[in-house]
Amino acid sequence: MDFYFGLAQIIGVHTLLGLSAYIVLLTGQVSMAQAGFFAVGAYAAGMLTVLAGWAILPALAASSLLGAAVACAVGFPALRVKGLMLVIATLAFGEAVRLFFFNFDYQVARGGVKLGPLGGEGFRQIRYFPENGWTTMQVMLFIWIFVVLVMAILWWLDRSRYGAVLRAVGEDELAAQSVGINLTAVKVSAMTIGGAIAGLGGGIYAHYTTHIEHASFGILLATFALAYPILGGLGSVFGTVVAAIFVQGFLVEGLRFLGDWRNLLFGALIVLAMNLRPKGFLDAPTLRWIRRVFGGKRGAA
Amino acid sequence: MILDLIQNSFDGLAMGASYALLAVGFTLVFGVLRRVNLSYGPAIMFGCYAATWVSFSFHSNIFLLLGIAVLGSVLAGTYVERLCFAPHHKGSAIAAMVASFALWMQFEEVVTLVMPKHLYDFPPMFDAEPLAIGPLSLRAEALVMLACALAICFALHRMLYRSRFGLALRAVTDAPVAAQLAGINVPRVLLLVFLLASAIGGLAGWLIVSTHTQVTPMLGMWSTLKGLLAMMIGGLGSLPGAVIGGLALGVLEAHSQWFLGPQARDLIAYLLLFVLLAWRPRWMTTSHG
Repeated sequence: MDFYFGLAQIIGVHTLLGLSAYIVLLTGQVSMAQAGFFAVGAYAAGMLTVLAGWAILPALAASSLLGAAVACAVGFPALRVKGLMLVIATLAFGEAVRLFFFNFDYQVARGGVKLGPLGGEGFRQIRYFPENGWTTMQVMLFIWIFVVLVMAILWWLDRSRYGAVLRAVGEDELAAQSVGINLTAVKVSAMTIGGAIAGLGGGIYAHYTTHIEHASFGILLATFALAYPILGGLGSVFGTVVAAIFVQGFLVEGLRFLGDWRNLLFGALIVLAMNLRPKGFLDAPTLRWIRRVFGGKRGAA
Repeated sequence: MILDLIQNSFDGLAMGASYALLAVGFTLVFGVLRRVNLSYGPAIMFGCYAATWVSFSFHSNIFLLLGIAVLGSVLAGTYVERLCFAPHHKGSAIAAMVASFALWMQFEEVVTLVMPKHLYDFPPMFDAEPLAIGPLSLRAEALVMLACALAICFALHRMLYRSRFGLALRAVTDAPVAAQLAGINVPRVLLLVFLLASAIGGLAGWLIVSTHTQVTPMLGMWSTLKGLLAMMIGGLGSLPGAVIGGLALGVLEAHSQWFLGPQARDLIAYLLLFVLLAWRPRWMTTSHG
């Protein structure tokens, strides 16, 4: 059973990562920097619990705030450009963050053992959960509480005036600007929220894996972050969860029996999904169908 | 001290020549078609691995290996174009990018399945001593690479502005719908550009691996990132800019390695790119040509 709880942990953290890219994608911006914010959150939360002895909740709050602050600071210069230039600028930023942690040493002796990030060796022994006797199931539930919370907030945002503004900017910047929407404010705020979610996800990730290293936060993770909302569809936050379950549950774990050949099929299935459903699993007609079946009166909306 | 600086610049130019080669091929796909093909480097790696496999099995001539490398990259490029770019022509550039990344994983998996060692030797182009200029030295291969980069750049420029195909290509870039109405077969033009870029990539890959005399699976990611960086520094979509950008990147890396150590080298390059993109000086806004 622990295997499935572990899998659910991975899916939960990847859902958070996907949601952090989702809100930025709503404004039509493609950010490859989400893995960078995720790394910042992971290292910050790990250092707070291991080196400063904080409890998990304040550490996660701090990592989330730090992720938001970094995203906001990056957003102002980066979001001046868009399209291809933004993809590459954010990619450069993400790689710069990864290389920063590759060179980052900050070790402190704790009870005869040196703890903390050590450059290429990574950051070992982030043992808050095992030290406090959390079981795999408890950790899994802890993670999913955050996932559900973030999804609920994003779902609510989506239906609020702010969500309409985000989608208006994503749909047509010129039209949005002409009705008085401040493009910079909208884009940077979406990026900041995305950074907060990525920072939170990274903080959780550091604690359930107990060992983080710079190589985990490369282009692979940045592309995965974008792949979830794109595969799932931008119509609803639920698409991102569906895609995270599809990729992590089915493609990564379900195909493990294929051994070395797994990545070949993995690539083929992603391409197939993109070609068959270019607007994602939960595209507009599918969402309408779901609302008609489950929605009752609200289904008309 | 001054001599060290000059020697570093020479080393940087030698490295920059390979970046320039990669950036020229990139400029066709990125600059002209405005698409992010993350699989560009891995397709080159696929071609180079095909050549390495032939060289291991048959000990063949180095120029035959060039043919194999080009053929391999073109095949890989066709595969990428058909699966990732042809179905996503209208809108949805992100879906194409994510799909191209999925194929990147496939290429890496295929080459490590067929050739599982971490590092393979590749025969050198020729056995030449580094050229000595007074107390300084410069590798002859670097000059060959630089000459190739400039030749390709010149040929592409001629092609773009002096041939019917170039005219069709520029028409497709400027106004795809109008080009279609004027009777240009847009999907065919896009496929041909893609194949041309892949062939250039194959040549670039062959030059690079025969200069470094080794092939690793990291070649794919390395080519994508360095080509991308060099192209962006040189101004998106400008062919001479790609060559200059590649050389500038090489020199910058050589100096930051000298002053700040090998680990800071890539960090400096990425930070520079981020600053350049956000600040966006005039020369980076050229469209193409």
